[in-house]
Amino acid sequence: MVDRHFLDVVMFVEIALLVLAAALFFAHGLWLFVTHRRVLRQTELARQSLTRLVTRGTVNVEDIQLLRDLPQDVQETVFLDTSRNLTGSGKERLRFVAREVSLLERAQKLCESSRWTRRLRGTRLLSRMDVVDPKVTALLADPHPAVRAQAAEWAAAQPSEPIIRAMLEMLADPETQARFAVQDALLRMGSIVAAPLAAYLETHTGSPAESGLRVAEAVAGTNFLSAAIRHSSSDVSGVRVAATNLLGAIGDAQAAERLTALLKDSDSRVRAAAAHGLGRMQHWQAGSQLAECLRDSKWQVRREAGLALRAIGAPGALLLRRALKSDDRFAADMAQLVLDLPEAATAA
Amino acid sequence: MNEILASVMNQILLKGQFLVLVYFLGVNGWYLVLLVSSLLEMRRHMLLIADESRHLLLSSTLSPRISILAPAFNEEATIEVSLRALLALQYPNLEVIVISDGSKDRTVQVLKERFDLVPVKTIYEQRIKTKPVRDLYRSGTYSALVVVDKENGGKADALNVGLSFARGDLVCAMDADTLIEPDGLQRMVRPFLYATDVVATGGTIRVVNGSEVRLGRVIQARVPGNPLAGMQVVEYLRAFLFGRLGWNRLGGNIIISGAFGLFRREAVLNAGGYLHDTVGEDMELVLRLKRLSYEKGGPGKIAFVPDPVAWTEVPESMKVLGRQRDRWHRGLADVLWRHRKMMFNPRYGITGLFVFPYYVFVELLAPVIEAVGLGALVFGLFFGVVDWTFAGLFYLTAYGLGTALTSFTLILEDLSFHRYDTFRDRVLLFSWAMLENLGYRQITVYWRLRGLWKFLRGRKDWGVMERKGFQKPVGVVGTN
Repeated sequence: MVDRHFLDVVMFVEIALLVLAAALFFAHGLWLFVTHRRVLRQTELARQSLTRLVTRGTVNVEDIQLLRDLPQDVQETVFLDTSRNLTGSGKERLRFVAREVSLLERAQKLCESSRWTRRLRGTRLLSRMDVVDPKVTALLADPHPAVRAQAAEWAAAQPSEPIIRAMLEMLADPETQARFAVQDALLRMGSIVAAPLAAYLETHTGSPAESGLRVAEAVAGTNFLSAAIRHSSSDVSGVRVAATNLLGAIGDAQAAERLTALLKDSDSRVRAAAAHGLGRMQHWQAGSQLAECLRDSKWQVRREAGLALRAIGAPGALLLRRALKSDDRFAADMAQLVLDLPEAATAA
Repeated sequence: MNEILASVMNQILLKGQFLVLVYFLGVNGWYLVLLVSSLLEMRRHMLLIADESRHLLLSSTLSPRISILAPAFNEEATIEVSLRALLALQYPNLEVIVISDGSKDRTVQVLKERFDLVPVKTIYEQRIKTKPVRDLYRSGTYSALVVVDKENGGKADALNVGLSFARGDLVCAMDADTLIEPDGLQRMVRPFLYATDVVATGGTIRVVNGSEVRLGRVIQARVPGNPLAGMQVVEYLRAFLFGRLGWNRLGGNIIISGAFGLFRREAVLNAGGYLHDTVGEDMELVLRLKRLSYEKGGPGKIAFVPDPVAWTEVPESMKVLGRQRDRWHRGLADVLWRHRKMMFNPRYGITGLFVFPYYVFVELLAPVIEAVGLGALVFGLFFGVVDWTFAGLFYLTAYGLGTALTSFTLILEDLSFHRYDTFRDRVLLFSWAMLENLGYRQITVYWRLRGLWKFLRGRKDWGVMERKGFQKPVGVVGTN
């Protein structure tokens, strides 16, 4: 029925596969066991040498030689681990040692590689060492999003004007990974990005503006006011939501006026954000409009309006009590829920 | 007449055997494709995460808020340790919601005493109908902790209540006794930061039996000496490291483990939350999210991330394991039946044309075909219709190839994470992989067939899971 020879071949192939798998599995285990002990020993010695070099600030030829002779992966691990705990002059000395053992040179070469995995490794090394290098600036436009994101992480520690400009242009990056890294890096740069970001928001629309508005909300300042007001009329609802949140964070009289108008926006997320912003500002003048929002068709808007009324104090509480007698069952329910809340819950 | 009948029977047995043989060849061939796919995916993933600085995510104001939903039913013995481990997870914007699903023991009392709970009021939108909530508590010592005490309604109902109270953009559904590694959430959130079309992500589930656990953390991973638990270690490695990872690259993931999954809250609420009347509520939700993304648009990508790890205890008794496998297979059958419209339907893209049929013909019907094949083989050997050479070929194709593929999964694990690092663990792991097909797999065929039979008869009960506990034996913890 089945040729015995064929069965023998199948059996032989399977046994060969199993033997190969077993050999690989156990050989790899043995290799890990041997190298692990060696690597541990090397890492320990290298850490001691590097600590001596960084803390004493003097160049010890033996320590440098030891670091130079390390396998590349161990050398990189030791420098990366140490870099996490250093800033200022300590990091400066670490960079000096890294240069002496040719680590920086290798990282720079990796940044020029045609393979994205190597460019990523190079960028990570230079990024952790806070090395100012035009090669990394160029990688802000790398074809691979992971490399661009890593370059953005590096840029957070280099807040110069050209870099900020390049970073702002990356807010339009089609890949979320890179966009997230850019937004985060801009936030880490601090208030220095406020003026260029405000200028950027004046000239950009759509998705790039939405990304920028999110950063602006965290930075928050009156220099974003005109951009926030302009974008709050955008055709894109996501942009309007981000602009409304920004207006709430700015907390200016003009912002309050615009937020009051946004309580009638067609998108419920915008209405909810406007109500939230007015509550945050405790803008009691918008009380009657907020009370009107208790009748909104969307639960989220009614909730934010109720909480905003509670936040603006006595006038809001009065309006909430009036709403208890509203002919709108949903408005009365929400008012009741908000009035029942303990103080701590509204603060949260 | 008898001779004609015997001849026809011979032909049926012979042709049937060949068909089953071809089926196994096809299945194992596909597994080989998955293995290669998972190797490539693992390599890409390891290169991406090597030396990445996740500490930036920890301090970023842009990190999305995550609400952990931990349903608990009669967990007074383990809840404190499990919850302290959850509260210590390394994630900046975290909320932990424990939902006591009508516990009859002192679960809520223990929580009140150990976490300084105070009753609070809040406004929440009940978008999904659930059993009534009795009380809501916040902790005086942990601001991120919320405890909901509700009437018993099952795990799905508890998760739905948690969804209503959650304030995070993302929700992490888990079992109260799952041990998530400290950086698990940081790792699992990555796909959401890196792509807008991701609706759910899942991490790797590993077997905790035999490992050293202290204060809700796995200190040292070990392969259990118990054969039943040991073979489940092999099964879990195969399911996650080459099954789901392989599908990831091919865009065909439709399973996120109920023990550890991260979802976009809004998408889950829009989909109507977890279904109550199924025992496969986690797979059902994922498949529904996928289906809705095709029907209504919106995010629909299901991503598996191999490096975030959660540990779970697996049954060590045949009785309990049988009940679990029976329930899993009933769940699978139920979910596939509910969404049968997707089968071979081009509207659902690769999921409808390829993934769904795969789950029907390979995952669901495999025990039937395997049982038919084995039965016919024994029958054929007995009546001399098939010879021992053919039987050998059948066994080697059906099980031998599977064993070889499994052993390569162990290598994949070893090359990537190598969590089991002692010689003893290696010997045990390889032994369990070799022995798995000599009895254990055939027993699981019986359990799965039983599950299929119960599904056809409309049974939807969960059974009882007996747990030994991670620290000391803690008695019986029931699932509802």
